[in-house]
Amino acid sequence: MTAQEFKITILLKRPRYAKSKIPVIEAFANKGQSKSEYSQFGPIYELYIYAFRLGLKKGLKLPLPPRNSTQDFIEIGKWKRDSSLVDFLLMIIFSKSEEIGFNWNDLEDMEEKELNVVVSNIVEFIESYANGGLQYLQEEWENDNLINSSYLFADLMNG
Amino acid sequence: MASIINSISFKNFFNYYGDFEDNTYNLEEGINIIIADNGAGKSKFFNAFLWLFYDQILDSDTKQKINIKNAGVKIISDKAKNETAVGDYITCGVCVEYTSGTRYKYQIIKSFTATRLDENITDESSWQFVMNELEVNRTELVLHKYKPVYDENEKKQIIDKLIMPAFRQYSFLQGEEVDDIIDFSKKESIERAVENLTDIKKYEQVHKLLEEFKEKAFRDVQKQLKTNNAQNERFDNAVKEKEKIEQQLAQEKLKLEQYNETLVNAEAEKNKLDKRYANAEKRKELDDQLKPLRKKLRDKKDEFETFLDRINNRFFDGNFAWIALGFENEVNKFNELNDDFLDERYRRKTLKEVEKNPNDFFTVMPIGSPDAASIDKMIKQEHCYVCNREAKRGTPAHNYLIKMNERQKSEEVGEPFVKNDLKNFFGDLQINAQPFYTKSDSIKDSIIKTKEKEVELQDSIERLKKRIKSLEDDRNTIMIAGHDAEQSARDIINDYNGAVRRISDAENKINDIIVPKINKLKRDLKTINEEVKSLNKSNNIPDGYNDNYEVLSDLEEAAGKAKDKVFDGMINLLEEHANIHFKNLIKNNDLSGGILKFEKNLNGSINFNYLDSKGNSVYGSSEGFQRMKKFSVVMAIISANNAEYNYPLLADAPISAFGEGFTEGFFEAIGDVFPQSIVLVKELYKREDEMKINELGKRLLKDARVKTMYVNHVPENAEQIELITTQTKLK
Repeated sequence: MTAQEFKITILLKRPRYAKSKIPVIEAFANKGQSKSEYSQFGPIYELYIYAFRLGLKKGLKLPLPPRNSTQDFIEIGKWKRDSSLVDFLLMIIFSKSEEIGFNWNDLEDMEEKELNVVVSNIVEFIESYANGGLQYLQEEWENDNLINSSYLFADLMNG
Repeated sequence: MASIINSISFKNFFNYYGDFEDNTYNLEEGINIIIADNGAGKSKFFNAFLWLFYDQILDSDTKQKINIKNAGVKIISDKAKNETAVGDYITCGVCVEYTSGTRYKYQIIKSFTATRLDENITDESSWQFVMNELEVNRTELVLHKYKPVYDENEKKQIIDKLIMPAFRQYSFLQGEEVDDIIDFSKKESIERAVENLTDIKKYEQVHKLLEEFKEKAFRDVQKQLKTNNAQNERFDNAVKEKEKIEQQLAQEKLKLEQYNETLVNAEAEKNKLDKRYANAEKRKELDDQLKPLRKKLRDKKDEFETFLDRINNRFFDGNFAWIALGFENEVNKFNELNDDFLDERYRRKTLKEVEKNPNDFFTVMPIGSPDAASIDKMIKQEHCYVCNREAKRGTPAHNYLIKMNERQKSEEVGEPFVKNDLKNFFGDLQINAQPFYTKSDSIKDSIIKTKEKEVELQDSIERLKKRIKSLEDDRNTIMIAGHDAEQSARDIINDYNGAVRRISDAENKINDIIVPKINKLKRDLKTINEEVKSLNKSNNIPDGYNDNYEVLSDLEEAAGKAKDKVFDGMINLLEEHANIHFKNLIKNNDLSGGILKFEKNLNGSINFNYLDSKGNSVYGSSEGFQRMKKFSVVMAIISANNAEYNYPLLADAPISAFGEGFTEGFFEAIGDVFPQSIVLVKELYKREDEMKINELGKRLLKDARVKTMYVNHVPENAEQIELITTQTKLK
């Protein structure tokens, strides 16, 4: 597998979120759809990336429920096209290779099947932290701890 | 004995929330200035006097004067209403204290009580109103305690003495009021002024009496003639002729009256349109200013909306990269892992090569090894620059250089030595993600700057809103004048031209046809009278009858002339005084050389024009200028009076219409004419200033003629029920 093929394998993946998080997604990633009282993200992946960052920084890892209780959305390759956002995310994810459970050099000697397992683990890694972040947002939201401001998400990052 | 208002106080009256002592303006002889922005209590001040004198207030919504009994819910402070529990009551009132002469001081209080019956405070039916008895108190100046006045007539006299009813029209100047006091197109207007100033009424009465006596004397003469000489045919004919001429004259006079009426109406319409035209111009000017400002506000609001909408984009936009905040360690870790990966990669490769060609020469190039281009150069020049010695072609040293060169190339081309070559995968991530991780340090700043930018946008929106509000208020003040705002300029011009044409037609008819005819008839009448007289001499009637008629004819003529002379004399005096005041008013302006000219029309009305230094009439001047002209005449009416004017002036000075040059003149002039002036003014207000007044305000503050100065405040952006007016005394 070439570098290009490896990257495409990752970019074709469609991460999933728990169906229980649909309300929180509708509340915060609904720009232009309805006049929500909260500051909004545009597409779902924006909130998803934000939640992933929140989960990762706060150490909130929460595995997804069984597949039937989850839902996917657009593939990683289509997140913010024409931008290096995904490259940056991959950089952060690969810096956590130890936690995910692989060694960079070992990747180069793996069979395709083994590599696919690693890629699956990477996706699971993203999903777990995004799920943790979404859970956190949901709790804060339900407990009325979110202050409605245009800087809600910027301020939440510092907290 | 001038009336001087010592104080005026309000209790829960409009925005003047609280008791009388919380809302008291202490005033002095001389000039008193109260500075208030729109909505900060100026018109309320006027309403207090309307209540005092006429039991009315001016409804600011409908611009109609309504009786105080029907205005209750509107004039009580909303805050006071809100704070009154159902079942409780509040009092709303005004209190004026004034001194008349050197002995007495009076206090007049008008008030009513409102009991709250229901929840909705703005609903008339939620309140029950009871008018309190008019309270008038008096004290001698040397004493301190007021004693109530009980007699209703005396109470009325005390209110009237503050400003006599006939003079109130000169004492209250509220914007357009000046225009209405003196409408020179109406004959009565100037006559009323002259009547107030002279004893012309007596001359008129004398003249009228003498006219009647003269008629009677003639009828007596006629009677005598008929009895004495009934058969005298020539005399009879002459008398008949005389009566015919008199009839014709009466007809022509009637015609003259009709044409005069047409003329007066047309002039009134022209004058009304003059004002409307000036208003239309002024309104257009404001609209021209408002239009781009409104567009700018819309654009700014859009910009603000878009800005807020896009704040979250800044997490993912490489120019801001907020998402990268706090990922410094991860980025460093990635770089470390990448270095380790590359090292391990070379180690593994080398091992593989050794396994493949165990006998082949290999070396790991140390740091600082020559690059391919340098080795190429060394091969060509047969010299090793690393150890600085010859390496001739064919020698082991030269072969070594060639081998080194090939080894480097073979590594670059690279035969695959791993199953998956991921070197570029990691390398590319490191290069591509740069826009994000290079910004980590500046993200906090970037968030702060974004917040600052938001505040900046909000501020500029607020500034625009304020500017627009202020212009709209000015525009509304013009509309208040009661003219139809929506009438098109074309209609105004058409009506205006129509009125001018009718004026010209009527003037031609009067001047070219009717007046010459009347003059001819008068001459005829005179000759026929002579004829009758001489016929009559040849008859034998007692001399007394003829003498009586002649004397009365002369007296009648003299009284008519005297009346005209008094009237003309007063007009000249008014003109003289008006010009003195006008010169004072405009002395700080760049206008020069012109004079105000009063000209008597045939119908007795006064044409009032501003003539330039060459004697030409100046038309189409600004509304402020027009008002200054009229104000000069108001002051002339007061100052031309032999007696001193004993009443205060209460003026809402529309300085924006006057212009700053006029304003200074205005304050100088009123000081000379009125013993006390209370001037309410918006244009000296400046919100940004510490004292809340502008430069002109500060100059006036230092002026010795200005005795007191107040600034009114209302809280910014307050809800109606929180709106209260407070005041600061600057002097």
